[in-house]
Amino acid sequence: MVYIVSWDEFVDRSVQLFRADPESTRYVVKYRHCDGKLVLKVTDNKECLKFKTDQAQEAKKMEKLNNIFFTLMARGPDVDLSEVTGKEPMETQPAKKGRGRKQ
Amino acid sequence: MVLLQLDPFLNELTSMFEKSKEKGSVWVTLKRSSLKSKLQKRKLSAAGESIEYRCLIRATDAKKTISTSVGAKDHLRFQASYATILKAHMTALKKRERKDRKKPTEAEKKESTSTSTKPKKL
Repeated sequence: MVYIVSWDEFVDRSVQLFRADPESTRYVVKYRHCDGKLVLKVTDNKECLKFKTDQAQEAKKMEKLNNIFFTLMARGPDVDLSEVTGKEPMETQPAKKGRGRKQ
Repeated sequence: MVLLQLDPFLNELTSMFEKSKEKGSVWVTLKRSSLKSKLQKRKLSAAGESIEYRCLIRATDAKKTISTSVGAKDHLRFQASYATILKAHMTALKKRERKDRKKPTEAEKKESTSTSTKPKKL
């Protein structure tokens, strides 16, 4: 199977794969507590990308990837991915403060 | 295949993780879907209406399968609950040992001591 060594490469390629074919791309997570192993797979039924780990820190990265996929799938592949900020910039705009009160 | 609402799905997912602690795996699959047949899709696109997509989530522990679908409105809330469940259960994974970091520093010290002895021999 095509196991990818670098996490960032796995993320980039899986997002690319999804954007190319959102209808058939799926993201699978398999967790085995008895073995302490986590395996991630992204496939569009033509290409398959896999990532396996036994590290807790990779699980944290996986949670971010989960968020990315949820956003992509629920809202559409054209969504602007705010991987840096973690939240969509539209939602984090603060309410207008102090306008109109200064006289 | 049992199709559930969001909260019952999360509860069932939690119990699956708990059952699979001794042995067994838990698979979770995420896929985008409009939950409509091809005919319905063609009709909608012909009429000029946009097709509403949802995120289909399936979970199985090899004995039973549960599923739910999340729309754009619910996905943030589901995402947060799902992340909490994962963090709570993925405790068997190894944490990075600090011994790995100490070893290269010890090796560096050895190298620095060996290089200092060389000029004396000359």
